[in-house]
This record gives sequence, structure tokens and C-alpha cells, in this order.
Amino acid sequence: MENLNNVEQTIAVQSQDTCQLLNTFKDKMTLSLKVCAHCTLCAESCFMFMKNNKDPHYMPSYKFINSIGVIYKKKGNLKRNDLEKMKDIVWKHCVLCTRCYCPIGIDIPSMISTARSYCRAQGVYPEFDEIY
Amino acid sequence: MVKSKRKPLNEIMGSIQAYSRIFNIGCGGCASVCLAGGQREVNALNSEITAELKSQGLHKQIDGYTIERQCNNQFFQGLDEIVQKYDCLLSMACGAGVQFLAERFPTKPVFPALNTISIGIDRDIGLYEERCRACGECVLGYTGGICPVTRCAKSLFNGPCGGTNKGKCEISSEIPCAWQEIYVRLKDQNRLNDIRKIRPVMLWQNQVQRMTVQESYRQRYAQS
Amino acid sequence: MTESPLILLLYNLARGPLVWISGLIFIMGVIYQCVSMYKLTQKQIPFMKASQLNDPDALKFDIKQTVLYTHPVMTVVTSVFHMCLIIIPLFLLAHNILLDQSIGFSLLSFSENISDFLTMIYCVCAFIFLFRRIFLKRVRIISTFYDYVIWFLASAPFITGFLAYHQLFNYFWIVTLHMILGELMIIAIPFTKFAHMIYFIIFRFFVVNEYSLRRLQATRTF
Repeated sequence: MENLNNVEQTIAVQSQDTCQLLNTFKDKMTLSLKVCAHCTLCAESCFMFMKNNKDPHYMPSYKFINSIGVIYKKKGNLKRNDLEKMKDIVWKHCVLCTRCYCPIGIDIPSMISTARSYCRAQGVYPEFDEIY
Repeated sequence: MVKSKRKPLNEIMGSIQAYSRIFNIGCGGCASVCLAGGQREVNALNSEITAELKSQGLHKQIDGYTIERQCNNQFFQGLDEIVQKYDCLLSMACGAGVQFLAERFPTKPVFPALNTISIGIDRDIGLYEERCRACGECVLGYTGGICPVTRCAKSLFNGPCGGTNKGKCEISSEIPCAWQEIYVRLKDQNRLNDIRKIRPVMLWQNQVQRMTVQESYRQRYAQS
Repeated sequence: MTESPLILLLYNLARGPLVWISGLIFIMGVIYQCVSMYKLTQKQIPFMKASQLNDPDALKFDIKQTVLYTHPVMTVVTSVFHMCLIIIPLFLLAHNILLDQSIGFSLLSFSENISDFLTMIYCVCAFIFLFRRIFLKRVRIISTFYDYVIWFLASAPFITGFLAYHQLFNYFWIVTLHMILGELMIIAIPFTKFAHMIYFIIFRFFVVNEYSLRRLQATRTF
């Protein structure tokens, strides 16, 4: 059973719908990813970052680089467990309050929401009734 | 989402007058999205209060913190110890959040810093329009997706009143008549039959505090 | 001159045609990027005139809400760095003499001492950036090899220029390297991470964000 799970975890994910999704947002997302100077000045504007003892894993830039950034870097050829990791980043570490500040002017919320759409299209989404 | 707006500084100052250690708690949910109660506003309010106190020659301890949402118990975790260090709490959440915070910390006075305005939509940054009064009996199906409860000054269910004037409401010539808009939209969709039937009025007097149980979860709560 | 023919060729190329080629690629690239960025925006019908909104409680400007307060050092360093990046090469005496010799036109020049001082400041800022990237965990975890390449491209022309001005090491080699690296950087601006130079200005006016300068009447959004 564990073996089977491992196999499932490494199955590549890609379908017609998600290719379409990636193409629609490609120009905007790749441009935003390209111009990010990795300066980390966005960190303090994120209350999740402040709330979690300034853990760098909660920085807006870390979150979009490791979600939508990974998706475009791998051109959508992701494994299941990549998506599971991403699920925590885009849903648990970000509440999409849209309040992050980027000195260069990158629209970070739109990047996180695109990553969420991609995950949802792959059947990866948060189960809110599991929390309790 | 729920839209809210900050109370005037005077009112907030009045409520915290008697306390010297104040803890201002922001909400990362709707209140943050509508630019009224997120981390940035918590900091802004705190510095405004500090400046105001300074001008009055007073000194109080005032700190801020923002949590994911104040309408869910889960997110209050970790606040228990911090809250004990303060005399009163200021909540920058909607009415639901303020009440839940007060319920969670019953020994602490909790004051709202926001006025909860509406359930609305985002027109632009910082520009929101009311769309829903949460009446609990949605009629949008036959009114062409335009809410008569919210948009009509009299919340009429069966066509406009006599005050409708060239498509505007009698209250103001700048407010469009909701029923005019409903009529135009239904006519364009060839659905005028939808509003020919007489609809019974809403039984507002029967409204009590509502409890929502999703059908698929009924089983879970039935046992206890 | 006793330099090898290869370096002479490089020197002549870098001093002549490559300058114009890189300038041309830079201008064409910037225009191309501006157009393609503009194409990513969409038309938007203004919802309401700003005059219809009369809100006395408008958010006041508060310095505590800006990066100047959260990162005072970084704000100063980055502002000085980017300002120097633009003004040093434009108003450098040696550059303007070369410009005057070739097209008979030149900009104002700083005195050599000022340029020298600004270059030193620039290098200090550049090294602050580098050390930040290496030693601060939050910057390190999102840094890639590419970030270091970009850092090198941005600082090397200034470092070599400084060395060339002071005639340190082999002047001829250094100045050739300086020209080639500078030209590479100019070419790279529209097509690499440096594109934030263009993006920074354009998207202040298109992104729907509380911090953008975009106004309610704006007719296009990103």
C-alpha cells in the first residue's frame, strides 16, 4: 500500500484544462516572476509573516516563487507531492487578503490566485471540514 | 464579502478611555480585504491613538496583532497568553468577529473599532457597493439578478412604488430605481413573466438569530 | 602598443560598433517590452468619477506605513544605488568626452572627483546587497544562481570602471572588460530581471493595488 502511495505521489500531473490555464496567464505570470528582484521588502507587509515570528517561509515572494514560480519553471510537469507542498503554501500560508506591498509593483495576489486555480484544476484544494 | 469602515477616532478614544493597556486585534479576512482592519490599519490606528494620547498628555500601552480570521475559534489559538497582559481589547473585525472575540475572552472588555456596513462587492480599491442584506430568502432568481431588498429603498417585492421617476428613485435623482433595472434586464432576456406573479412579502418579524447547518453535515451535529 | 591582436580587436569593437549596437538593442528592447507590457493590460470602464466620492476619512499618509520605516537602511541603500546607477554613467566626464569626439554632442559632466566618490558609494551599496543575499536567511532562501549573475552584471561595469580610472592592474585589459561588461548590461536591461526598471514605472499606473498610483478614472488595468 505504501508503495502504491509512493507511485501515486510521483505521477506527473498535466491535462488539457490545466495547459489551457497555464497558457492564459503565461505572459502576465512569467513577466511578474521575471521582474521580481528577490529583494524581500514585501515581507513586512504580510501579516502572516509577522504573526509567524517573521519566518521567511511566509514571505509573499517566497510563497509565489515556490508556487506559481515552480509551476511555470517546470512548465506544468509537476508531481502530485509537489502540489501537496504547494497546497500548504497557497492556502495555509496565504489567506489572499491582497494586502502585500511590492516596491517594484508586482501584483502578488494575482499570482497566488493563479497558483490556487492550477491546484484546484488538479483536484488539490483545502478541505475546510478537516480542520475541526 | 463583508464590508466595514473604521469608526471615527473620537469614538474609539472614548471606548478605551478607562484602560491603560490596550490590545488591538486585526482580522486578515474580509476586514483586511476591504482595507478596514488588516495589519496596516491596525498599525495606522495604533499610531493615530498614540499621537492623540500624546496630544492629551496621556500615556497608555497599545499593541497590535493580526490574526487570520476572527470568526473562527481555531485562529484564536496562541492569543490566550498574550491577551492576559492587557486591560481591554480592540477588535478590527466585522460585528461577527467582535462578538466571537468577546465570547472567547469573556473577562476582557472588547470594543469594536469598525462599523460593519454591508455584504458587498469591490468596485475598485477602497470602493465598495452593498449587494446583499442576508435576508435568508433569496429572490434573485426572478428579479434578474438585481436584489430588490438591497437596491429598492422600500425593499418592494412586486414592482416599483409610485415614486419611481424616469428610472430614478424618489429618494434621490442619483439613485436608480431597482425595479426599473429589474424590468429592463428581464425584458432584454425575454423573461418578463417572472415578475407577473404576485410574490408574498418577506416575513421580517419572524427573523431570529439564524443558525446555518449545511445539509451534508447535519448528521454530525444530530447526535449530541 | 604591445597588446595582443585579439585584445586590440576586442578593444576596437567595444569602443566603436558595440556601443551603438548595444544602445540600439536597449532602445528597441525597451520599446518592445513597453508595448508587450501595455498589451497585457485590459480596457476598463471607469465606474465612478472621483468627484462623486467625498470621503473626509481618506487614509492619511503615514511614514510608519512605508518601507522607509520598516527598512530604513535598505530604502536608503536601494535609492542611492539606483540613482547612482543611472547618473554616474550619464554624467561621467570620460563618457562625455568620448561622446563629444564621436558625435559632437555631450551631456553635462560631474567633476572626476564627484564621479569617483559616487562610484565608491555605488560599490558599497552593491556589496551591501551581496552580503544581504548571502547572510540574511530571508533573502538567501529565495536567491538563485541567476540573482548572483544579475548582481555581477550590475556591479562589474562600475568596479572595472573604478579600476580603470585609477589605472590599477593592466589598464588596457580592464578598460576593455569595462566596456564589454557595460554593453552587456545595457543589452540585458530589457530582457532580464533588470526589466524591473521599465516595469517599476509602467505598472505603478495599471496594477489595481492600494499602493499603486493608478487613479479611479484609469481606463486600463493589468
